[in-house]
Amino acid sequence: MNRTALVWRLASFAVAASFIALWQLIANLKLVSPVFLPGPDRAWAALVRGFSAGDLWSKLAGTLEHMTYGWLAASIAGIAIGAIIGSSRTMRTYVAPSLEFLRPLPVSAIIPVAIAMLGLTQAMALFVIAFGAIWPIMLATIHGFAAVEPRLYEVARSLQMSRLAVIFKIALPSASPDILAGMRLSLTVALILSVVCEILAGLDGLGHWVLLSARAFRSADLFAGVILLGVTGYVTSVAMSLAENRLLAWQAAQR
Amino acid sequence: MASAAKRLEAVSGTIAPQIAFDGVTLVLGGKTIIENLGLGVRPGEFLCIVGASGCGKTTALRLAAGLYQPTSGRVNFDGQPMREPRREIAIVFQDYGKALLPWRTAAGNVSLALEAGGMPSAERPARIEELLRTVGLPGHAGKYPSEMSGGMQQRLQIARCLAQEPKTLLMDEPFGALDAMTRQGLQDEVLSLVAASGATVIFVTHDLDEAIYLGDRVIGLLPHPGRIGIELPVNLPRPRDQLSTREHPEFLRLRRQLFDFIKATEQ
Ligand SMILES: Nc1ncnc2c1ncn2[C@@H]1O[C@H](COP(=O)(O)OP(=O)(O)OP(=O)(O)O)[C@@H](O)[C@H]1O
Ligand SMILES: [Mg+2]
Repeated sequence: MNRTALVWRLASFAVAASFIALWQLIANLKLVSPVFLPGPDRAWAALVRGFSAGDLWSKLAGTLEHMTYGWLAASIAGIAIGAIIGSSRTMRTYVAPSLEFLRPLPVSAIIPVAIAMLGLTQAMALFVIAFGAIWPIMLATIHGFAAVEPRLYEVARSLQMSRLAVIFKIALPSASPDILAGMRLSLTVALILSVVCEILAGLDGLGHWVLLSARAFRSADLFAGVILLGVTGYVTSVAMSLAENRLLAWQAAQR
Repeated sequence: MASAAKRLEAVSGTIAPQIAFDGVTLVLGGKTIIENLGLGVRPGEFLCIVGASGCGKTTALRLAAGLYQPTSGRVNFDGQPMREPRREIAIVFQDYGKALLPWRTAAGNVSLALEAGGMPSAERPARIEELLRTVGLPGHAGKYPSEMSGGMQQRLQIARCLAQEPKTLLMDEPFGALDAMTRQGLQDEVLSLVAASGATVIFVTHDLDEAIYLGDRVIGLLPHPGRIGIELPVNLPRPRDQLSTREHPEFLRLRRQLFDFIKATEQ
């Protein structure tokens, strides 16, 4: 088991390494103009320069802030609304279908609306990110609450548990695998929308950095920003998996 | 000894019933499931209910638990109408796998009932350990239900029910899914637990031998709609013993009588 895991890890490193090598080769051979495509060497140098001399740190912090606030707002609202809808059969029957209708609407469609109402502000960004990120969490919560074993509600009734205790001790833990999966999906959505909002509203963040670099034809800086975005997405999703594994240790026992 | 005396009194009928069904009819989905059921269960009595599949045993138990309200008639507990489930009445469900919280350990599952009863958290660990020992699960406090066998899970559910300190214990085919050896062991454990706590028990089972072995009284239900078809007092000495009780001439006579009853209902 450990051995095969190691082999897979090595193989994935090999793939990544050969990808970077290919990139370097294309850049060196100038198959694409260096104005548009810097090699990994130049991108790396730009990254280091951005951190040491430029304001890449503050840009990264800006994006992380937008992403985190939007995601947290989406999580709190999504779980709360999902819990209300999911724990009532009537709400599920009447409200859930219209949610399913709203969900596939591209969030980009509401961005103009948000800008018209809130202007090119942090509040607009927060609203757009939260609005986009809420769907996976809310739908997962509805599903999780609807799927609670009815027998457990009977146990709760015979113990005369309060409504609040039923939600926190039975429904939420039972729905937690669904909710956490939804939160993980939302993390990616929140990152993407952070960048979009930064580009559109000129808010401090990696999106803005990428936009300015592109306008100035500083392709190495552009790539440094894109790489940093990729790393951000990867690291946050790994952190989320670790949190999931910890919180759902009881599920590992079940398998 | 006190409980034996109480039991005798209970059977002879000098004490007011703890649970009383009075002309209870239950209609679900336009279908009459239970019709005009009258039944008194006295404090400390061990009542067993048998009957063919689908005759309404589970439904009768859920009425006693307050999980269903009768369409007409009354279910009283200690002279008060049962409007909703209450902590004094604990139910052991047949599907123990569904009745336990998979995200809580054995200790956590027992704790649920203590929390509901408002016990301060400092006092819980000692009580949990005591309860787990009582049901024969010492040293398993940190295990999740999924790491336990069926018999252990059912023991755990019983421990949680005991944590409610119930006056009445309702059991719906609690051992139906267990193998014969585990089953006999648990039968004796339940008998001694009940003797120690003095709780009233309504025990639903498919197994006629089990009903006679455990009960002070056995009731057989007739199906469509559910109503009482036979009522047999069990005058077998206690404590019961897996070998000698089952060979007792009275046991064999009751067994015969119940068997004939069930056979007749199936025709
Ligand atoms: N919620 C319900 N709605 C409609 N009919 C029901 C409902 N619950 C039970 N019934 C019907 O009531 C009858 C009695 O059911 P019940 O579960 O009480 O039987 P049982 O004696 O416990 O059977 P078993 O031995 O198989 O457990 C069955 O015919 C069943 O189909
Ligand atoms: Mg049943």
